[in-house]
Amino acid sequence: MYLELSHLKKSFGEKTVVEDLTLSLPQGELLCILGSSGCGKTTTLNMIGGFLAPDSGQILVDGEDITAIPPERRPVTTVFQSYGLFPHMTVLQNVVYGLKFQRIRRAEAREKGLRYLEMVGLADYAGAYIHEISGGQQQRVALARALIVEPKLCLLDEPFSNLDAALRVKMRQELKSLQRELGMTMVFVTHDQEEALILADRMAIMEQGRVLQYDAPLHIYHNPVSPFVADFLGLKDLEWRQDGALLKIIRRDDKEEHHAG
Amino acid sequence: MNNRGHNTQERASLRDALFGVPHLSGGRRPGERKGGALTAGSLLDKAILLLLLGAVCLFVLWPMACILLRSLGDGEGGFTLAAYAQVWSRYRENLWNSVFVGVLSALACTVFSTAAAIFIATRRGWVKMACMALLLITMVSPPFVSSLAYIQLYGRRGWITYRLLGISWDPYNCWGVIWMQSISFVPLNTLLLIGILSKLDTGSLQAARDLGARPAAILRDVVLPLMGPGILVSLLLSFVRSLSDYGTPVIIGGRFSTIASEIYLQLVGYSDLEKSSAMNMFLLLPAIAAFFLYRYLMRRSDKLSEGSRSRQGRLELSLSRCGPVGIGIAAVSILFFLMMVLQYGCIFLAGFLKSTKGVYSFTLRNWEELWRLDAATMVRSVVYALIVSLAGTLFAMLFAYYMERRRVPGRSFFDCVATLPYMLPGTCFGIGYILAFNHEPLKLTGTAVIVLANMLFKQLPTATKICSASLTQVPLALERSARDLGGGQLAVLRDVILPSLRPAFLSCFVYNFSSSMTTAGAIIFLINPGKKLAVFKLFDAVYTGDYAVASLIASVIIVIVLAVEGLAYLITWKGGERNVS
Ligand SMILES: Nc1ncnc2c1ncn2[C@@H]1O[C@H](COP(=O)(O)OP(=O)(O)OP(=O)(O)O)[C@@H](O)[C@H]1O
Ligand SMILES: [Mg+2]
Repeated sequence: MYLELSHLKKSFGEKTVVEDLTLSLPQGELLCILGSSGCGKTTTLNMIGGFLAPDSGQILVDGEDITAIPPERRPVTTVFQSYGLFPHMTVLQNVVYGLKFQRIRRAEAREKGLRYLEMVGLADYAGAYIHEISGGQQQRVALARALIVEPKLCLLDEPFSNLDAALRVKMRQELKSLQRELGMTMVFVTHDQEEALILADRMAIMEQGRVLQYDAPLHIYHNPVSPFVADFLGLKDLEWRQDGALLKIIRRDDKEEHHAG
Repeated sequence: MNNRGHNTQERASLRDALFGVPHLSGGRRPGERKGGALTAGSLLDKAILLLLLGAVCLFVLWPMACILLRSLGDGEGGFTLAAYAQVWSRYRENLWNSVFVGVLSALACTVFSTAAAIFIATRRGWVKMACMALLLITMVSPPFVSSLAYIQLYGRRGWITYRLLGISWDPYNCWGVIWMQSISFVPLNTLLLIGILSKLDTGSLQAARDLGARPAAILRDVVLPLMGPGILVSLLLSFVRSLSDYGTPVIIGGRFSTIASEIYLQLVGYSDLEKSSAMNMFLLLPAIAAFFLYRYLMRRSDKLSEGSRSRQGRLELSLSRCGPVGIGIAAVSILFFLMMVLQYGCIFLAGFLKSTKGVYSFTLRNWEELWRLDAATMVRSVVYALIVSLAGTLFAMLFAYYMERRRVPGRSFFDCVATLPYMLPGTCFGIGYILAFNHEPLKLTGTAVIVLANMLFKQLPTATKICSASLTQVPLALERSARDLGGGQLAVLRDVILPSLRPAFLSCFVYNFSSSMTTAGAIIFLINPGKKLAVFKLFDAVYTGDYAVASLIASVIIVIVLAVEGLAYLITWKGGERNVS
């Protein structure tokens, strides 16, 4: 497998936050880690990204053990929940920042930056400063900045949680098509069931630091391993388009309908 | 853009809160009031506001205007530029010296401050505690302490230069002045920069690392640029403080003199006031220019940290992995803190040592003498400081409330005037007060009032800032509900605003007290010789070379301020506890 997490464990003092976490993911797929608040999702991502050292366990990317490599040298980038954009740089400067450490010529970097900005639909904002663009646009800058260095793995920590509902749905679609287009391997963390179901090629349900079930989303939906998982998903019906993409989710309790592509 | 939208919205809701509820007694704009009699409450409200604005104009603006008018006066009611021409021709060298010293001090000081701030922010545990404690002590130290220690350590009979190394040299020159100024401005700038560093977005740092930036690159590309406006502010503040500093050149400048030290000499001699005023204008104008630049830079800095997640712990940056720059930062900081330790060790010891033929022994003689001669001075200093702290804190709270929450006409103008003293050189503030208040109907020179007022208004900018910061934490809804339940403006002030400013009261009080005990600035020129204060005695003692007594006075001031601050914290802490139980 392209990404392999084996027996990851992390505790803060007495408290075990991630316990014996084992997952694997083929290249080019998107893994969604779905779990309630405080279950250890960010902690897991921080271990993959290198910002936290696991107490035990291994992380392999493309066959290479990266467990002991510092974040700046991992072939992994992160889109942070708060974006972490550089407020003193323009949009373009933000996006090309990572290329600086890849010995790429300035003109070339600029060209590539503009291409990625085009890709996320922000070509017109290259010269704007971060505080001059909207939340959704900032989100895209963060995404472009993480993807431009062509990492082997891209991590996203609840990237849409600061956006309003409509924008969230739109960004979801854009992310999915971008991921397919680039063939990027991604780990996406969320506590939104619907988001997970729509985005994921594979889905891990996490609770109190453990993975309860790990499979294709539809499979989990049809065969929840425990009443807890079934209840957590809380969905009644899914509607599918002819091409197999998920179209609509109908929730069990509220009759609200959500459209998705 | 986001920000502007937010503000407009806030303004709208502010207006809504204050004027939008028609059935309230004091709730309408003055112009819109129809028929109904003015209630006593709203009259008092207006009276307070007028009093505050009037006081600010009288004690800040008017003295400045007096300097300008006097510098242009020809003594017979006409206007002339003669005084300026005279200053320009006679004191050009002093002006040049001032600029030279100012630039070098500002640069040196900013290098030290930036290094120390980054160093402290990346430490944790006892190293951080120790450094912060040292900064705290320097913040409550009277001025001249550095110069005093400098003379004792490196002077003609200095402990290090003469006794230890056996060299005899002349420390009284412009390099001594530059060195001492940069050292003594460091603590304040460092605290300012630590504040900016603590608002640095953790996300940006993590993201940089994530994208492949090594510590040195993070420092260069993220940390330093985000500190940029703060570093410029530090340069600016140090430059202006250096321009206005007369103490250091007078004490250790020897034959080297700046425009500020020249003004000092003129003023204590009470000579030509026209000339002194004109000389002061050379300080006042750059100070005012710097003030506006300062406000602009601080706004820029706020903008850079806007929307960032604040960091709880330390700055995650390994200085040892930052290459030569990181090592430089650590080295400069350690050097600075060692010098501070040496400086305070020297000050605390010097008062209790006597030297007989080069051999030192312990003595309490100076100590006893100090209390016999100067107990009254110490008590007076504390009393003055307490008065200023209480009055100043109340003033600042009310002022902050009217500025932040009420639509005072000309709000930004008054806000600006009240903040101006932050940058005003002590000599300007001193001569301004002498010119403004030495004749009827406002003859205050020689009284305690002029000293107290001077301290209060010099400290008003920072005090107001503390209160405003705290006031923005008070939700508008609270105010609104008090109005909604039938309370007038005054009731809101009494029942909502003042109680919720309690934490600010403490910081404000502590700030006012320590500043009143330790700033010499303008006070030196205003004090009645019969009613000296501790800082004045200190300056006298240093000036006349009585270093043992000077060290003692400095130590006593530091101990008193720390004790009063500790007591204030203890009282509010206990008080808070009682409230809870
Ligand atoms: N540095 C730390 N020290 C101590 N406890 C921590 C630390 N970081 C996280 N925790 C604890 O670990 C648990 C999991 O944290 P984590 O941030 O991984 O949750 P999460 O699943 O990302 O939640 P959310 O959806 O709210 O972001 C929480 O209970 C948190 O209190
Ligand atoms: Mg999280």
